[in-house]
Amino acid sequence: MFKRFFAVTSLVMIVSLLVGCGPKQPAKASFEDCPKPEVFCVGLVTDVGKIDDKSFNQSTWEGVVQAEKELGALVKYIETTDSKDYDKNIAQFADAGFDVIVTVGFALGEATQAAGKKYPNVKFIGVDQFQAPGTEVPNVVGLVFPEDQSGFLAGALAAMMSKTGKIGAVLGTDAVPPVWRFGEGYRAGAKYINPNIEVNVVYHNDVGFDKTFTDPEWGKTTALSMIDKGVDVVFGAGGKTGNGALLGCAERGVMAIGVDTDQYYTVPEAQKVLLTSAMKLLTPGTFELIKMAKEGKFPQGGNYVGAAGLAPYHEFEDDVPPEVKAKIQEIDKALKDGTLQTGVPPAKPE
Amino acid sequence: MDWRRLGFIGLIIVILIGAVVLVGGAKVSPPVIVVSMLATTIAVATPLTLGALCGIYCERAGVVNIGIEGMMLASAFFGWFAAIYLNTILGVTPLPSLLAGVLAAVLTGGLLGLLHAVLSVTYKVDQIIGGTVINILAIGISGFLNRQLFFERGSIFGGEVPHAPGVLPRLRIPLLADLPVVGRIFEQQPIAVAAIVLVLLTHFILFYTRWGLRTRAVGEHPRAADTVGINVSRVRYANVIIGGLIAGLGGAYFTLESVPSFEPLMTNGRGFIALAAMIFGNWSPFGAWAAALVFGAAQALQINLQFFREQIPPQWAFLQQAYIVGLIPYLLTMVILTGIIGRTTPPAADGVPYEK
Repeated sequence: MFKRFFAVTSLVMIVSLLVGCGPKQPAKASFEDCPKPEVFCVGLVTDVGKIDDKSFNQSTWEGVVQAEKELGALVKYIETTDSKDYDKNIAQFADAGFDVIVTVGFALGEATQAAGKKYPNVKFIGVDQFQAPGTEVPNVVGLVFPEDQSGFLAGALAAMMSKTGKIGAVLGTDAVPPVWRFGEGYRAGAKYINPNIEVNVVYHNDVGFDKTFTDPEWGKTTALSMIDKGVDVVFGAGGKTGNGALLGCAERGVMAIGVDTDQYYTVPEAQKVLLTSAMKLLTPGTFELIKMAKEGKFPQGGNYVGAAGLAPYHEFEDDVPPEVKAKIQEIDKALKDGTLQTGVPPAKPE
Repeated sequence: MDWRRLGFIGLIIVILIGAVVLVGGAKVSPPVIVVSMLATTIAVATPLTLGALCGIYCERAGVVNIGIEGMMLASAFFGWFAAIYLNTILGVTPLPSLLAGVLAAVLTGGLLGLLHAVLSVTYKVDQIIGGTVINILAIGISGFLNRQLFFERGSIFGGEVPHAPGVLPRLRIPLLADLPVVGRIFEQQPIAVAAIVLVLLTHFILFYTRWGLRTRAVGEHPRAADTVGINVSRVRYANVIIGGLIAGLGGAYFTLESVPSFEPLMTNGRGFIALAAMIFGNWSPFGAWAAALVFGAAQALQINLQFFREQIPPQWAFLQQAYIVGLIPYLLTMVILTGIIGRTTPPAADGVPYEK
């Protein structure tokens, strides 16, 4: 009996040791000084996922790091491992007297608003958290992006580059409005160029929020299934799941379009097939808002619209015909000045 | 061989594929759809089949193993790490690095199998707890080392994720792989092929060798086996370790065959689905394989229903709710468990530690 007890206990101890060793933070002694007004502290809480996800969390964190370099802020992040911990993780920063807390991702929207009400002196930046009219909290600003425009450009480019007249998109769940806007914007952009084009948009809806963006195997399988049916440009949008689609394209030598950041640098395996990426300029958007907070110009609640656009063509620079490039620029301009509308509502209708 | 069960499972796969042909046949030619569905099905089924085989070896010997998920996750990580380390740091060419990676993954699975055997056979710890320990341990180790080895500035890779050596190449079956449309099915990656070979091998071992007979005896009635001189502990140890080795191969599928990257938690519950496949298939290798194919076909169905969503008649539009399609395999598992197509019977001594 004792032996058995010993075996279980020692194992549990080993496990908790391993699980307990969290990420090492760049150690600076002065995080205790955060409550002082002269010390400017910025904390970031990730969505379920890692800070180095080569995508969303990472680009936002780079904006925070820019604030460290240029504004002398003290910065720190917490990685969320379970969606039940959102409130707890935000509270860790708020209770430590941080000035600005950045929460990354649509899923943290409710937790961020609740924290905003609880800690009125802390400024919250909710990345991808659209603040619906009537629900605004004065110290919570949603950093949102016109994903539909970004997706529209990607779709238009895909439609012009496709030879088979069939293009596809592999995305995370459409219950997350930005993902849905990317997907539907892509569809709208492709149809704008060629009303008869076949656009296949597949969302990873069959699993929960915690898995829909971290399933590269599904993304790849789905992309291959499309390629089998003649699709020759695939837009992969949805964290690691989308990256899986890019890898599938790389295996088959089919053109791919990345998302959120310039994925030429984040998925090197797909460089040869990566046409461009439908970017949300997360890093500058995050930095601008932190800077505003530092200078006392933080908006009074509501939304701050960042920029979106296509990444450079990289290895396709010579393969994309000049008239296609010109058309993309024309559409980009028309979308920005409002003469062209994507016609995509902000979220999936019920 | 339980033909009724296999027939039922086969029928389900045909229905799932047939449904897509019916919906999308006008847009894409039926052979292309069938081949594409089969390709997806086989790919998705590979880790499930291997996981289920791991479960079969363990449970046929009387040891419940719910740690398959953890075994696959840890193996996926260590296999990937070994391959990248050899390729990037030691400068080994990609193919040998990948093969060594597979070996590392298999050994990782074997080690975790050994751990499970020590806990459940020697220390007679509750086997559910032992499996849970492995699952938690794998999440902790893989997540922690992934960060320490790849993302810390002072790590061996300097904080940059190195360029992966790619994935295992496809093996072409000559002639068959050159056929116009169906050729794609005969061009599989090595672990997918190995999974099928292991199904055949496991069936043979379990039902046609002395080893298999002893394994089953130990799982059904260990005391009887003991009285005729079979060393129950030794048989259980060996089978749980073999199971671990196979789960390790399943883990290698994720990082060395499917996508050249590791993500924390990337097995995404497939180890548990493998357990369902094992039960669905009534603890037999062919049954479990067929069940894994059903899960694969259900995923192919779900991808294709979205692909063909403009072709779906409006009265069936609710099927596009991917949750509904995603539920099919689980609903079927429950139907099977109710005993409609024959009883599902686990080995009699499954999960019971043997006390002399």
